[in-house]
Amino acid sequence: MGRAAYIRRRLVLMAFVLFGVTVVIFGMVRILPGDPAFLILGDRATDQKAAELREQLGLNRPFLEQYWMFVSGFAHGDMGQSLLYRQPVGDLVLTRVPITLALSGYAMGLAAVITLIFGITAAVNKGRWPDQLIRIGFLFALTTPNFWFGILLILLFGLTLHWFPVAGFGETLPQHIWYLFLPALTLALQLSAVLIRNLRGQIIQTLRSDYVRTAHAKGLSERLVLLRHVLRNALLSTVTIFGLQFGFLVGGAIVIETVFALPGTGQLLITSITARDYPVVQAITVVSAVLVILVNLIVDLSYSFLDPRVTYE
Amino acid sequence: MFVQKARWPVMAAAIAGLLLSACAPTTTTGTGSPTPGASPASKVLRMARQQEPFSPFVPWQIDDNPALFISVNVYDTLLRTTKDGTTVEAGLASKWEPSADGLTWTFTLRDGLKFSDGSAMKASDVKASLDVARSGEKSAWKDVYAAIKEITASDDKTVKIALKQPYAPLLSVLSMFSSAVLPEAMAKATDTKDYDNTLAWKTKGTGAYYSEGWKKGDPIILKRNTNYWKGTPAVDEVRIEFIPDDNTRVLKLQGGETDVVDFVPFSQIAALNTQPNVKAQTFTIQQTTFIMLNNSKPPLNDVKVRQALNYATDKEAIIKNVYFGQAKFMNSPIPQGTYYDKSLTGYPYDLDKAKALMAQSSGAAGFKMDMQVRSGNTNFANTAVILKEAWAKLGVTVDLQTIDTAVARTNYREGNYMSQPTAWTNDMNDPTEIVNYAMRGGASPFAYWTRYNNPDLNDKITKADLEQDAKKRETQYSEIQKIYSDAAPLVFIAYLGATAGWRSNIDGFFIDGLSYYRFEDVKINK
Repeated sequence: MGRAAYIRRRLVLMAFVLFGVTVVIFGMVRILPGDPAFLILGDRATDQKAAELREQLGLNRPFLEQYWMFVSGFAHGDMGQSLLYRQPVGDLVLTRVPITLALSGYAMGLAAVITLIFGITAAVNKGRWPDQLIRIGFLFALTTPNFWFGILLILLFGLTLHWFPVAGFGETLPQHIWYLFLPALTLALQLSAVLIRNLRGQIIQTLRSDYVRTAHAKGLSERLVLLRHVLRNALLSTVTIFGLQFGFLVGGAIVIETVFALPGTGQLLITSITARDYPVVQAITVVSAVLVILVNLIVDLSYSFLDPRVTYE
Repeated sequence: MFVQKARWPVMAAAIAGLLLSACAPTTTTGTGSPTPGASPASKVLRMARQQEPFSPFVPWQIDDNPALFISVNVYDTLLRTTKDGTTVEAGLASKWEPSADGLTWTFTLRDGLKFSDGSAMKASDVKASLDVARSGEKSAWKDVYAAIKEITASDDKTVKIALKQPYAPLLSVLSMFSSAVLPEAMAKATDTKDYDNTLAWKTKGTGAYYSEGWKKGDPIILKRNTNYWKGTPAVDEVRIEFIPDDNTRVLKLQGGETDVVDFVPFSQIAALNTQPNVKAQTFTIQQTTFIMLNNSKPPLNDVKVRQALNYATDKEAIIKNVYFGQAKFMNSPIPQGTYYDKSLTGYPYDLDKAKALMAQSSGAAGFKMDMQVRSGNTNFANTAVILKEAWAKLGVTVDLQTIDTAVARTNYREGNYMSQPTAWTNDMNDPTEIVNYAMRGGASPFAYWTRYNNPDLNDKITKADLEQDAKKRETQYSEIQKIYSDAAPLVFIAYLGATAGWRSNIDGFFIDGLSYYRFEDVKINK
């Protein structure tokens, strides 16, 4: 099977996964106790007024009918109306997705750079002080809650050194890149903590293999052996983890967006869950699921570039 | 591996710095070096607020604080609450007087009033706005206008309000945010079925500022109204962004990225005031915090049990440990506004008295009760933990349950709880609002959902609304406060304040008794 056929098959599978996601999220938000009508109308509302609103919002229709409206609407690109903000959900969610996506992408880019630098350094210095320092340092990053870690970064780079803004998003593209650096770094440090351990182990293992010994015997420079022979082989499993971590990143972004006051989907999701704004919660979840699935597909496809022996069967 | 060498010092510095800054947060003050988004020469006030508005931005449809805080800067009312929140003063009306029988009030408008677009404001605009507020399909505040029979605009400068019966709180009602004046056409349009709520953000008011539009997620931009009747405000533009995280908001203030922040955590007020360039303060507002008790659930139906819980509550300990001293002992069931009775003793901490009362009560054998705490509110959570320990001394086992606000609301509406920590803020300076909401039983909202019901007290509440004589009303409200306090349907804790912080070059930021802040008095110094 060629690459094209593989992609087609994965996209068909994606439809099934999405079906599952819609059922689960639709069920979950409705299992949560709490009545959106009173949350919208406030405590002064009478029971009758709340009943009218439920009728108007379609909340008293049978579950199956509500589910069908949600899924068929989505298929037509209509995500419905936000219960809380009385605005089309599409406007609310789609303007925020790029920010969350940019933050996640930025974090992945930073994580890739950090992982390569520190992973290789740790591996070639195995057992010596740079290796120990890297491992202890990143263990600290991994085990620290990211909202707290974010605040530490703000205190150091924002308040003390004034290198980066404390919080916010900026207005122009260079500003966005500048403003997003600290939140992306917060996420990236945690992500690379996992990746560095993996890459270090893989490199150490690969360094022991026969073809590396052969390469050395051929008289190739240390640098060339490391980059061409060792790294390419060692990266394969690290890339897999890298892709799988995208879901983690989108989850982490929700918290980090709140700490750094970024107008992404995270803040909106938290408000919407609190307010039982079903359509918004559903839309954000489904859009995030699509993104995670697509990123994993791209990662799977990247294997064949790293290792030409990989075929898709 | 040259990259690695260059990276090491940076990383080492970063780790060292992180540890340092974690140990000594007070040493991380701004040093005055340029920061992103610093104020340009034109006078723009940057504010970071905790919450975004969500109600439609039509004064009488507003049911959330973030929206009403903006509304009072954009729309004005016939009368205004004074800064200390205890009485009313002239607003759009410069003169007002009742008829001899107290059934008709005549309001005379100021000369030359204009909306922000330059068009003249007339008595007909007042009539149209108040009519939609009191009887519009979408109005959320109809109840407070129930006493009004008819509003007429007898000429461009005179508004007459006829009442069905004398109604003492009328002047307070007219100074509420929901009594704001919009141009007649706009007021009427907002109540039509298909009105596009985003249009309401293109405001036309008589307040100090106006907005040209707002989309959720963007900062709110307020521009100064050059037609403002009190004169053009000093600050050209107010730019309000939303930063829900308390720490981040305060850090932005310290970093000089914003000029004013609201909701500074009580724990940080003292620390902020030790820093250069920043000030923080707690303002007195008409807010109370207490524990609602479900009076219909035994043994909480026994007044002795409720009084015992009140005496066993160490308010000073809660004020010190939860509110860091930024709160006051709550001696009366109503906030410190008009007719508040400061002579009431309330329930000062007295464990012996509490034990004696409990021993005589139906809860003498000890009992278990839930305390449902809304997630995300640290103050409520900390209060609940203190109470669990304190009430254990009375043989009461408190089962702490952390729940979502949405669930808390469903539970108290349905009476499906025994206790919940909560808070109340007056929307008007007259006690009629809290007294009718929190003390009148028998029908929704069941005396703040406590299910307390005293028909005799209900009658007294009705009488106080009808009384015209201020002195007599004061006596009546004192009696109402006493009866309710003795019945202890709640566990009374503290009067809270509203907190804010600002850069020291900002002058005149003030939160008034009803927790409104108006930017018209704010100045930015060099």
